[in-house]
Amino acid sequence: MLDVPTIDFDFGSAAEIVAAVASGRSTAVGMVEAALARIRGRDPVLNSFTAVTEQRALLRAEAVDATRARGEALGPLAGVPFAVKNLFDVSGLPTLAGSKINRDMPPATRDAALIERLEAAGAILVGALNMGEYAYDFTGENIHDGASRNPHDHERMSGGSSGGSGAAVGGGLVPLALGSDTNGSIRVPSSLCGIFGLKPTYGRLTRARTFPFVASFDHLGPFARTARDLALAFDAMQGFDAEDPACASRPIEPVAPILEQGADGLRVAVAAGYFKCNSGETCYAIDRVSAALGANRDIEIPEAQRARSAAFIITASEGASLHLNRLRARARDFDPAVRDRLIAGAMTPASLVVKAQKFRRWYRDQVIKLFDEVDAIIAPATPCTAPLIGQQTFMFGDTELPVRANLGLYTQPISFIGLPVVAVPVPLVPLPIGVQIIAAPWREDVALRLAHALEVKGIVAAMRPAL
Amino acid sequence: MKRKTVRKPPPPPKRDAIDSLVVANAQALGLTLDPSWVANVKFNLQLILRHAALVDEFPLPDDAEPAEIFHA
Repeated sequence: MLDVPTIDFDFGSAAEIVAAVASGRSTAVGMVEAALARIRGRDPVLNSFTAVTEQRALLRAEAVDATRARGEALGPLAGVPFAVKNLFDVSGLPTLAGSKINRDMPPATRDAALIERLEAAGAILVGALNMGEYAYDFTGENIHDGASRNPHDHERMSGGSSGGSGAAVGGGLVPLALGSDTNGSIRVPSSLCGIFGLKPTYGRLTRARTFPFVASFDHLGPFARTARDLALAFDAMQGFDAEDPACASRPIEPVAPILEQGADGLRVAVAAGYFKCNSGETCYAIDRVSAALGANRDIEIPEAQRARSAAFIITASEGASLHLNRLRARARDFDPAVRDRLIAGAMTPASLVVKAQKFRRWYRDQVIKLFDEVDAIIAPATPCTAPLIGQQTFMFGDTELPVRANLGLYTQPISFIGLPVVAVPVPLVPLPIGVQIIAAPWREDVALRLAHALEVKGIVAAMRPAL
Repeated sequence: MKRKTVRKPPPPPKRDAIDSLVVANAQALGLTLDPSWVANVKFNLQLILRHAALVDEFPLPDDAEPAEIFHA
């Protein structure tokens, strides 16, 4: 009798599911049914899903099983249930983007490009996920659909704006989810929910058929419970797409096959100055990760505070421009907190937005030079662990800061220039916190190799919630 | 010769100037502002202007290019 290893399908990884389906130990239908059962059982509390595409998912799963039965090759993600932030077009659903207004839009007629690519790899979409309205959010709260809740403490924020993505993967509902990151919206929920998140290089992954926020900064990327799963998803989603003008024409550069190279030969430094840790949890996380990677030097990222400010005003201005007609016609249907930020953004002096874009080129050139000396830079992902839902301020050292505007203070200067980042979860009790592994443009392989090496050493891990 | 533009940022606008700025901008943009929204819009605009001042004070040469380059 074969010695079949026990697989935790409840919080199992995508890689484990792929192996189980490929070997016949499980079926894709079984995997999807299990995911749907978990969603039914736990999502009334987590509030991570806004739509569950049950029929579609079961049909897809049957097709995967039929492929295996015919003896045909399965894709690298065959049988893996996944879900997407509800700014991704899902055929047959209106693309909500966390809003009330978009509910009145006609349903999408075609899936987002990244959904198509994951399904071509055999993964199976099970639904759409909650998010902060129009992605202008770091908390995961939503006035229309309710807050998505932190799997480790249901009274606490999931983080945002990809709040449902963080909660669904952190809570073990699905092993894989997609989100977006403009100023931190993958990395913040990854940190607060204690999971892995990848914000790739700007222009790496196609944004075709997703609802935008800030064209200058929007990135799409995966959440998962292991670094290998991030790599598998990333590899399946790569490739030029002419339908996204910002998508770079680069060859597909698979990372999963080289993960085991780990940290060998990689030079790692710790971001100092602006990025210096300012709480017990962030300092512990940084110290733990830096020690494991042999990062025995600090490195200064110049003008990071100013970079954050530049990102702030570009975001305010571009976001406002996108929503101007909606603000004219349906201002009362916005979340007031989002509405008033957008209205103010519409009044940002254009000449200073232009200057911010000029500063962006200068800042990018300065930061790129740092990668002559190092291969990766580590920095905190969030300034604190998950605040309570509704909490307005938190202590940043001796200073009380507003939560909403400042959960992304460490993430914003990095996405400003599109550097690839893997957020890795340091398993603190009672609440996890994330660390950013930042690499040079197009070097997602470096960040993922380091994340995998940390995971193998037991330094980082997606903790199963005690709840 | 390339010259760097060095200038001090202007002082932040006085509070009543922000009131006028919000009202005038809303009118120019065709935005209807409920009076109950104005305080929060002002707060957010003041935040934006503080961030903008930090960008404004950074010296850049006249020939500094923006991050995005258009190709015909």
